[in-house]
Amino acid sequence: METIRNYLDTMFSGLPNTVEVAKAKEELWQMMEDKYTELKNEGKTENEAVGTVIAEFGNLEELAEDLGISSFIKEDDESELSGRKIELSDAKNFLADKKLQAYMTGLGVLLCIISLDGAIITDCLLDNAILGMLFMFSAIGIAVAIFVFSGITSSKWNYLTKETCHMDFATTEYVRTRQEAFRTQYALMLSIGVLLCIISILPPILFSEMSIFFADDLGPAIMFFIIAVGVFMIVSASNIQKSFKTLIITGKKANAYNSYSTPAQKRRYNNPKINAVMSVYWYTVTCIYLCISFLTFDWHITWIIWVLAAIIEALIKHMDMQL
Amino acid sequence: MTNISSDVIRGYNDTIILYLLLNKPSYGYEISKQIKTLSEEKYIIKETTLYSAFTRMEKNGYIESFYDHDITGGKRRTYYRITDAGRQYYQAKCDEWALTKDVIEKFIQKTEQNGGINYGNN
Repeated sequence: METIRNYLDTMFSGLPNTVEVAKAKEELWQMMEDKYTELKNEGKTENEAVGTVIAEFGNLEELAEDLGISSFIKEDDESELSGRKIELSDAKNFLADKKLQAYMTGLGVLLCIISLDGAIITDCLLDNAILGMLFMFSAIGIAVAIFVFSGITSSKWNYLTKETCHMDFATTEYVRTRQEAFRTQYALMLSIGVLLCIISILPPILFSEMSIFFADDLGPAIMFFIIAVGVFMIVSASNIQKSFKTLIITGKKANAYNSYSTPAQKRRYNNPKINAVMSVYWYTVTCIYLCISFLTFDWHITWIIWVLAAIIEALIKHMDMQL
Repeated sequence: MTNISSDVIRGYNDTIILYLLLNKPSYGYEISKQIKTLSEEKYIIKETTLYSAFTRMEKNGYIESFYDHDITGGKRRTYYRITDAGRQYYQAKCDEWALTKDVIEKFIQKTEQNGGINYGNN
């Protein structure tokens, strides 16, 4: 019911506030409400009822002449022709693909982190460095294969951000419902992920206190494993969440003006040079962090790099604003 | 399945609505529901189409609107009632349709019940 009201409000949002328009809106609302109530009484689900009502609503164009709003509708109509329409089935496929891709990316990252475990465990248990290396590189290899595969499968959706797209209200509402349903899971995955990353430092500390056989190596091994699971959750959850946002932005703009052209990728920095450099900033930081950490093996202190990097980024942002 | 073309039916939405108002006043959703039932779900009128027809016919004096409460519940609705001018207009549209149907029929190729096309030479 709420959805139908929103739908009607959005349809009428750009129109002048005349008596005729207000009356039309009221009458249409009455009919929609009646239809919705009846569909619900027939035992239809909320989604089915809302879907039918919106599908059978029609087009405000038909009322343009009667309401004297032709000029408003025409403008919209022209722009509506441009761009690609995202159907409900497209949205469903997109979400399904992106969900799979999110888990695959998460899995890839998980493998990358776990690859270190292979090296550690085989090294201390079997005293066989080669087997460890083998495990490490095959895990990384599989991860890269997963990244490439998911990148290729998702490239068919590139048009969503690159082309002008629009999406009708019913589809937007569908995506919104899906996002709403995902909210709890998202929060849960994110907080468990962060929690795991934080408590991951416990095993090395605990094990170093105990003086049992290979405890010094087991600590980091468990730490990496916990981090891997945590990162898997964070990466998957945020990627899924991102897929909803991508669609909803398209839909929101489309309904505000009846059509929507995706703006050129918003630049985060005003200065083009800074923007170019900053686009690879975090990759560079990650690289520096891993290089220094592996070379020195001072993992207990190298995390400072992240804090420094964040401060430096804030400074650059500030500089950019002043330029 | 063939779908009804909105271009074709547009000229007869008024006729359909007036027919449903002949015996008693009615309101938006009831009319749209009756159209769906009587047409055996072959024609589902859009809300905007229906409302557009109401305003147009009211302007032309074929129908009048008034507020009333629902018989069952206490809901206040806009009801529509047919006027005398509306009845005349309806009759005129019926005659027009009879003629249209006669003419168009002459140009429709008949298909036999068994599925074969009758070329008229058997």
